[in-house]
Amino acid sequence: MERSIKQYETDRLEAAKLAARLILASGTTSPRVGGVGECTIHILDDECDIEDLCQEIERMAEVKKSWEFFRRDAAMLRDADAVLITTSLRCVADPADINCNMCGKLVCEYLKEEERLPAEPDVAFRGPLCIFRATNAAYALDGMISQAKNLGIDFGVFWSAGAAAMRMNILPKDTGFAMAVAISITEKSPFRDIPKRYADINQRTMHDRMIMRLWPQFRSIYS
Amino acid sequence: MATREMTELIAGGMDRAVELMTLAAHNSYRFRDRNTVKIISIEGEELEQIAEYCFSLGDMSPLAARDGRNLVQLMKEPCSLLLLGDKRKSDFNFNCGACGYRTCAELNKAEEVESLTANGPSCQFKNINLGVAANAAAAQAHRLGLHCRVFSTLAFAALAMDIITDVDLVVSVSVSAAKKNPYFDRHEYWTKDHWDEIFDKEFPTYNRGFIGAVEEDL
Repeated sequence: MERSIKQYETDRLEAAKLAARLILASGTTSPRVGGVGECTIHILDDECDIEDLCQEIERMAEVKKSWEFFRRDAAMLRDADAVLITTSLRCVADPADINCNMCGKLVCEYLKEEERLPAEPDVAFRGPLCIFRATNAAYALDGMISQAKNLGIDFGVFWSAGAAAMRMNILPKDTGFAMAVAISITEKSPFRDIPKRYADINQRTMHDRMIMRLWPQFRSIYS
Repeated sequence: MATREMTELIAGGMDRAVELMTLAAHNSYRFRDRNTVKIISIEGEELEQIAEYCFSLGDMSPLAARDGRNLVQLMKEPCSLLLLGDKRKSDFNFNCGACGYRTCAELNKAEEVESLTANGPSCQFKNINLGVAANAAAAQAHRLGLHCRVFSTLAFAALAMDIITDVDLVVSVSVSAAKKNPYFDRHEYWTKDHWDEIFDKEFPTYNRGFIGAVEEDL
């Protein structure tokens, strides 16, 4: 590969790392209910860290049928240059105390008494959560999305990655709800135009079958 | 040469701005492309009703009363309120557990609990979709150079008064073309004496040397 193209490849990855920080800034400064801080944003920009996350997502995909699409999410996340995970830290133990009834428990005191779902494999988030608090994560999410748009960077949103990160215990211990934004600095967004069976048939598996497997065979036969 | 006055220009701009905010909110990100958010804008008489309602909640909710008082001030200059609402039931089939039910089907079957502020239990991701729409509207207002703040109190009032109907969850984005930003640093509503009194009540230990002492005579 030409030196200049190599240089471009490393610069591209560096740009992704830089952009992830700027997107974190926008997500952090987005509004919070009542001005009370509760969201944290965590950047995974190491390929190995992202792979760990994808492995966990794939494990979750096997848990139940309605999570089968997690495998597709994992395939997309492997193409991401960085993953940002936003959390909500107050939605479990610290309801907003405004008795808004979004959780359906009428008042916050009743929500506090409510028994939470057990930590079992088929439970992604151990509700009931204080929905009014957890909505802060929506503001953080859109703060990140709009910054990615402003910077002209491709993004995808994955709640599967947030749930998987919670299982991996890489988020703060108070986290009750988490979602992820993946960004990619490539010429074709890996988060758009996703065909059927993408988890099985994607650039990575195509490369593996056509180049890594068929070409050496062809080469040894016809040499 | 035709001349257009500033008031006329601002009024026209406000109308366009609210339209563009609605557009931005409508086209913002949604989980599973479930775009069921309902958006309306209100001005004038309805705003007055909302302000009165909030103000009447005085003792029950000082926060709502504060926002009601703020709204009265706000309406003296060009302003508008964008109301966003959505249904509470899940149409995602994520089965994530955040609502406290193991599956979406269980949530959708659960008994509805009605109240003045929202009907529960509601799907977490419906709320996230709604929050993203609200933030997108606010971001657009920011880009258009409008003063802007997101209010739950005003939205709850609008829901309670059936100004926005056929929704279970609401949030509102208030925008204004006032001469100074009316949403932050609202010191004019508090006299120094009142502020000192409230502060002493809320944070009693702050001005007290010895925490154990209670000075009854004060």
